[in-house]
Amino acid sequence: MLGEFEYLLITVAAGLGENAYGAAIREEIESSTERRCSMGALYTTIDRLEKKGLLKTWMGEATPQRGGRAKRMVRVTAQGTHAAKEFYDAVMRVSRGASWAESRTGRTS
Amino acid sequence: MNGIPWQLIGFASKFLERDERDAVLGDLQETNENTWRGFIDVFGLVFRRQAGLWKDPRPWLAGFVLALPCSYLLTTVSISVSCTYQRLVNHKVYGWHWPTGHEGYPLLLCHIFLLIAWSWCGGYIVGSISRRTLWASAILSVIPSVLSLHMYPSQSLPRLCLFLFLLPGIFGVRWGVRHAHISFRAASLLALTMTVLMICAWSNNALWILNWALILPAWYLVAAAWRSSRRAERGRDPWAMS
Repeated sequence: MLGEFEYLLITVAAGLGENAYGAAIREEIESSTERRCSMGALYTTIDRLEKKGLLKTWMGEATPQRGGRAKRMVRVTAQGTHAAKEFYDAVMRVSRGASWAESRTGRTS
Repeated sequence: MNGIPWQLIGFASKFLERDERDAVLGDLQETNENTWRGFIDVFGLVFRRQAGLWKDPRPWLAGFVLALPCSYLLTTVSISVSCTYQRLVNHKVYGWHWPTGHEGYPLLLCHIFLLIAWSWCGGYIVGSISRRTLWASAILSVIPSVLSLHMYPSQSLPRLCLFLFLLPGIFGVRWGVRHAHISFRAASLLALTMTVLMICAWSNNALWILNWALILPAWYLVAAAWRSSRRAERGRDPWAMS
């Protein structure tokens, strides 16, 4: 089962699609969660997820705005999509009946 | 990308793999990140990476099983060789109590060769088994020499004598880091020569018993060369089992 940050990273990377790379993922995580995301957490989690086969990474193009340095591109694998869906389903299941989830699930206790 | 914080970021990022360094520095430049926050980020990533490396036994092996004990033994050999040289060439008697205190020129040359070969082999193994934690092995390998400086009488030999093993050791590390290939024949010849010279020195009471441990890296080198030559042969043989 994924961890919370792993789920966030996979979801953001999947949302960014072809434009998923370190800086873009980090900005998206920070703006969605309104929490700081350190590079250490980001890149070590990317490595861990790649080792588990949930992500695939490769070095992309170098752009002038990056000082001629390459991006580390990220793509979510089918296994990663499955793991994220499992996590999401588990969160939805466990949230049924929770007071803060009532308006979203449409259920009352 | 100028100023002291960026220089610090550049320095810290040198501990990262090349691709990761590119990605991280590029990200920082693209997002125009505050330089101090950038430094903390890069430093944090380096710290996590380094901490991750120590989960593997190889950095421990390189630092605490090889670099530290070998450099302790090699420091004593460096002093011993320097004492003998001073006694034979400059007729100054230092450290008569060292194992080589009584030896002549042939044994001195034998010891000089052994000092270079021991240091080179040890450095090679340290460099080849743990490239990314080399900084830790380097610190551990100078500790015995630095500690010996305090025990060393100031009127005695030049302090540089404590570090004679460092130069061949550094050459060995450079070879090891590049994973430079050593043929099985060359490695065997080196290990055999060293063993024969050690037996000669031992039979003349010019070798400390613990110095026998210094031959282990040379024989490890032979085993590694043999294994890589076997692998290369298998690669050439289309019928070999993978």
